[in-house]
Amino acid sequence: MTKRERNWLLLLPGGAWFLIMLVLPLTVVFIFSFGERGDAGGYVPAFTLEQYANLPARLTAFENTMILAPIGTLISMLIAYPLAYQLAVNTSRKWKTVLLVLVIVPFWTSILIRSYAWIYILGGQGIPNLLEMLGIEGVRLIYTPFAVLIGIIYGYLPLMVFPIYVSLDRLDKRLLEASSDLGAKPFATFMQVTLPLSVPGIATGCMLVFILLMGEFLIPALLGGGKVFFVGNALVDLFLQSRNWAYGSAVAVTLIVIMLVTVTVYMRLISRLNTQRDDVSIM
Amino acid sequence: MNVSPAPAGLSSDRFREETAPVAELRAVTKRFGDVTAAKNLNLTIDRGEFLSFLGPSGCGKTTALRMLAGFEQPTEGDVLIDGGIVNDSPPFCRPVNMVFQSYALFPHLTVEQNISYGLKQRRPRMDRSEISRRVARALDTVRLAGFENRKTFEMSGGQQQRVALARAIVNEPKLLLLDEPLAALDRKLRKEMQIELQDLQRQLGITFVLVTHDQEEALSLSDRICVMRAGEVVQMGTPRDLYDDPKTKYVADFVGTSNFFEGTVLSVKEDMAQVELADGSRFEGRASDSFRETETVCLSIRPEQIRLTGKAEDGAIEVVVQNRIFLGEHTEYLVRHSSLGNIIVLAPRQAELAGTAFNQGDRAWLNLSREAMLVLRQD
Repeated sequence: MTKRERNWLLLLPGGAWFLIMLVLPLTVVFIFSFGERGDAGGYVPAFTLEQYANLPARLTAFENTMILAPIGTLISMLIAYPLAYQLAVNTSRKWKTVLLVLVIVPFWTSILIRSYAWIYILGGQGIPNLLEMLGIEGVRLIYTPFAVLIGIIYGYLPLMVFPIYVSLDRLDKRLLEASSDLGAKPFATFMQVTLPLSVPGIATGCMLVFILLMGEFLIPALLGGGKVFFVGNALVDLFLQSRNWAYGSAVAVTLIVIMLVTVTVYMRLISRLNTQRDDVSIM
Repeated sequence: MNVSPAPAGLSSDRFREETAPVAELRAVTKRFGDVTAAKNLNLTIDRGEFLSFLGPSGCGKTTALRMLAGFEQPTEGDVLIDGGIVNDSPPFCRPVNMVFQSYALFPHLTVEQNISYGLKQRRPRMDRSEISRRVARALDTVRLAGFENRKTFEMSGGQQQRVALARAIVNEPKLLLLDEPLAALDRKLRKEMQIELQDLQRQLGITFVLVTHDQEEALSLSDRICVMRAGEVVQMGTPRDLYDDPKTKYVADFVGTSNFFEGTVLSVKEDMAQVELADGSRFEGRASDSFRETETVCLSIRPEQIRLTGKAEDGAIEVVVQNRIFLGEHTEYLVRHSSLGNIIVLAPRQAELAGTAFNQGDRAWLNLSREAMLVLRQD
């Protein structure tokens, strides 16, 4: 077996997986998006742009996704960074492991169950009830965009913490000493050394969380209570409830295109930010 | 410290700056938990000198350097810079710069940005044109002009080393601290950089403090060497002092190569001591310290101070040649004495040219002159 043949053989399982699980379904969805809904639902072959023309009917779902996903990503990042910083810089080796495990503990139970807990916390028996005891009445949290935001930040925070933690943990502490030695006060060192060198971690975390948030449907369904709809919810609705596969496919294709554009622009921006660096590769 | 009154015309502050040693450690002890990294260090660093801390790893030399830089605070005692106590002053407040062992160059900055980093931290802000002028001069000094926009990770070890040097000297520190700066370079490059370091130090007139475990490096670069062991200063002096007049076996062993024979003092007369070795043979040597009779001591003789001859002379001892290594200008012999064991002898090339060369298995005689023998404390 030549080296070339062996390389092809090694690529075979991954390539086959990629073809069957990604390329094929995407092609099907793409073709469906130009079709029509059958009388009893499902898909009828056709070539029409009608489904795309109909997109504005689901504008709210797109709006919610495009607003809440970036905000959720941003807030997660702002919460995760100080946390990751403390873990990486100011925590003894012994406690690091314990605290890192605590960060991933939520993953041990299903997001479904954890979201139900939030329904209780944000619902009438939870925080609003407590506020009422303090004399603040009429606060409504559950089934609002705020509740969805809380839910997604809660759910995706660990995914943000880890990449940032890794980039800060890997940071050569001698660089911080060198900066101090050269006359930079602690805050100046943070801004000029720590922060720029942790950009790869921030970029990876944001990318990870943002992509997953764009496709989220469970948290909006539970905490948004049918009032705060994401594109993911629209898809569930179209494919499973109204069985309008053609229209659902058009919505899906549109979401994919939006993601592709956003992620490409984002990568460009980040790589421009990092032109002077070797140790950066985002994903 | 002896300070004579300030001459007229010099303000006392200014006077202090110009006459006080540039840095000083006074009874400095540093403990990390149960470990004492530095024990009662007392030393002064003179303006413009090249001082080396020499010792094996873990001897406290790096701790001493880090206390001068401000990365560590002394547990006891005082660290002074320019006559003022700086114990609690953080690194960014000290007029001191360090060249790190692994260089610690900022990977996200270009060569120019690395070098200008220190100047850019100054408040009030330094003029941009002034910064670029000084950076250009520093680059020139380390012979890296034209590398401004390079990324540091694209450069060779020697070049990175020079960027690290430029990044420190551009700030014109009172004290330049070098933490094993040449350890990562290969032998040839290390030699070159040693010469460059020495030139640089003369050219800039900045006080250099070097930490090294390489005795050759310390000997060739330093004005003074501070030999350390287990957190303590063992001996301090010029390279020549340390080589010719080591006070202990440790120093004689660490600085240069030497042959050692253990024995006890029989008698002391003026600065000469008579020593009896284990086999009963007696030798006389220069006493490096005052010794009591019956004290256990160590006789030391440098390999190049032994004369190897082919016939028995008065007082010579008989040996058998074990091994011969040709070193160019010298030949190194390993010879064996029946009771003293192995002895290293360094014979100059002339001796060999004059016909006194020995082969393995030859009988030969060693002349151990009493002037060359040193009686050392057995520490």
